[in-house]
Amino acid sequence: MRNKLPKVLSVLLASAVVLSACSTGSGGESSEGSSSDTKEITVWAWDPAFNIAAMNKAKEAYAETNPDLKINVVENAQADVVQKLNTGLNSGSTKGLPNIVLIEDYRAQSFLQSYPDSFFELTDVIDVANFADYKVGPTSVDGKQYGVPFDSGATGMYVRTDYLEEAGYTLDDLQDIDWDKYIEIGKVVKEKTGKFMLTQDPNDLGIIRLMVQSAGSWYTTEDGETPNIANNEAMKAAFETYKKLMDSGIVKVVSDWSQGVGALNGGDVASTPTGNWITPSIKAEASQSGKWAVAPTPKLSGIEGAVNASNLGGSSWYVLNVDGKEAAAEFLAATFGTDVDLYQTLNKEVGVIGTFKPASEGEAYKAGDEYFQGQKVVSDFAAWTEEIPNVNYGLNTYAVEDILVVAMQNYLGGKDIDSVLADAQSQADTQIR
Amino acid sequence: MVSQRRINITGWLFILVPVLAISLFYFYPMIQALILSFKSGRGMNLDFVGFDNYIRLFQDSNFITAVKNTFIYLIIQVPVMLVLAIFIAVLLNDDNLKFKGFFRTAIFLPTVTSLVAYSVVFKYMFGGDGIVNKMLMNFHLISEPIQWISDPFWAKVTIIIAITWRFTGYNMIFYLSSLQNIDKSVYEAARIDGANAFTQFFKITIPLLKPMILFTTITSTIGTLQLFDEVVNITKGGPGNSTMSISQYIYNLSFEYTPDFGYAATVSYSIVVMVIILTLIQNKIGGDKK
Repeated sequence: MRNKLPKVLSVLLASAVVLSACSTGSGGESSEGSSSDTKEITVWAWDPAFNIAAMNKAKEAYAETNPDLKINVVENAQADVVQKLNTGLNSGSTKGLPNIVLIEDYRAQSFLQSYPDSFFELTDVIDVANFADYKVGPTSVDGKQYGVPFDSGATGMYVRTDYLEEAGYTLDDLQDIDWDKYIEIGKVVKEKTGKFMLTQDPNDLGIIRLMVQSAGSWYTTEDGETPNIANNEAMKAAFETYKKLMDSGIVKVVSDWSQGVGALNGGDVASTPTGNWITPSIKAEASQSGKWAVAPTPKLSGIEGAVNASNLGGSSWYVLNVDGKEAAAEFLAATFGTDVDLYQTLNKEVGVIGTFKPASEGEAYKAGDEYFQGQKVVSDFAAWTEEIPNVNYGLNTYAVEDILVVAMQNYLGGKDIDSVLADAQSQADTQIR
Repeated sequence: MVSQRRINITGWLFILVPVLAISLFYFYPMIQALILSFKSGRGMNLDFVGFDNYIRLFQDSNFITAVKNTFIYLIIQVPVMLVLAIFIAVLLNDDNLKFKGFFRTAIFLPTVTSLVAYSVVFKYMFGGDGIVNKMLMNFHLISEPIQWISDPFWAKVTIIIAITWRFTGYNMIFYLSSLQNIDKSVYEAARIDGANAFTQFFKITIPLLKPMILFTTITSTIGTLQLFDEVVNITKGGPGNSTMSISQYIYNLSFEYTPDFGYAATVSYSIVVMVIILTLIQNKIGGDKK
């Protein structure tokens, strides 16, 4: 009997330790507690070279006409933004939350629908018709606009023309090709130059997202909720193309994002099909100036309606329904919502290609880029942007993707494609409810 | 009589503060989490669903994969680490060893490094072009780079190597302090009776270390069930969920996917149940049977 107590205690203690680790952490640190008349707002975003830099330019532009408003731009990693926003909104206390927040398009619906009254409606603040069509789906709910569409994730294929020439190709050979042709070229490049054609991180199925959207399809059906895997022709074609890529010996496997960028800057790979936000990272290696060019994204072969344009990543600004929301909305409307000149600055100085249609008439969008042999990359991307099929990312992009990553491993391991997709479908059906 | 009562009141007041604090910061969240585990829904839109979440656990292949992975770490890593820790502790307890302080510090040092920092360093060391592959290739032990992080098997191995490096020194310190409490005369007597080093180790050292072995086993088990930082920072749970731990799955349910805090709480409670069961088993096997 005397022996019983410590045992029970030790078990209780052990479970207490576990629980304290499980109960999720605090919200964000304090930033502002403004009432409606104080002129101070806070912005959360990630990526100092891109989003933060863009927000600072907007802040400068706005200060010229509205010097009273103080804007705090706070940098957080994207994962931190997502976590802090979730804990903050879920706790019901809006203290410590920012006024404006950047959210990735894939995640937007999950926030807008999980926390219905937490975001400020912007339908009357911006004119949605001025923005690229494919950005409207993720940023609105039931016809009500909540986000100011920002970063275009329009994709292209960045290529090293010097490696291509060594292999006997020119940029013209890469115009409007499909993935089979891409693999064929990749094999020759590998044989003639010893360079890999592209890098892939097995944990990141971005290229599958890119392929599926280029065919106008998505992980879920148009309702944004029903998993759309087993009978999805585009998904099947994307899986098959991915396996062909992996089996062809033209892929350098990397384990994370920075290794992928390292391979680009180090001259290990001949191309990368990805979103235009990669431009600053590629240009970071000044010695390769004049060697790169951008071709349209390859398309899925054998799929009706597949186009040579797609979207990868991309994000938009949202206003939280907290004190200071009017000032925040006004600020966004005056900058990212209407300011054509601002977009020229953003383009020239930060490399941002927005999704604001009138901006493409400006000077900067028509200028050639010396780094890309004088190619007018921005106007090329703007043209591809118009072709991107509009799909509903729904609520569960990343939950489904985790299932697909496993399915892909099984498929690459030799399992039959139809049963792999059927398994993934049934798993997604139980996961998503 | 009066002074006795005052002492009692003072005593209770002293205890009251920690009791309140523990109730507020431990028991209240525990109960809240338990209630939460019976709800489900997106973000704030939670509804009571009864035992649905608990039934879902057993159909959820992601959860089952996470439990399997965690138990593979547990079954392989904890014994390897503890044996290693005892071995090193015995070596470092040798009176004739020079620079003892240096070795002890060196082996304990990993324990005080930041979890995230060391994980990131491991990720680069074990990358495709990392230093580990380069060294193995230079010594001609392998002919082509091992995909430490992108192959399901080797990714698990990498995680196990990482946590062993981080926590062996921590457990070693416990054994070392235990060893120093063993009276040297016990060993002298054994030597006089003709016991060799081997016999001394298994007949004296191990039995006397038993309470410490039980303690370290339980703490290491709990630690492994809560494994998070290494997996997230080295492999992100991949490739294809092959290294995902239960804690990471809880994180994914709460923050990576459309948040379902109710189900995440259910998964958290499954860890509690596992810890209770494992601790009871270990107490049964390792505890004193008086």
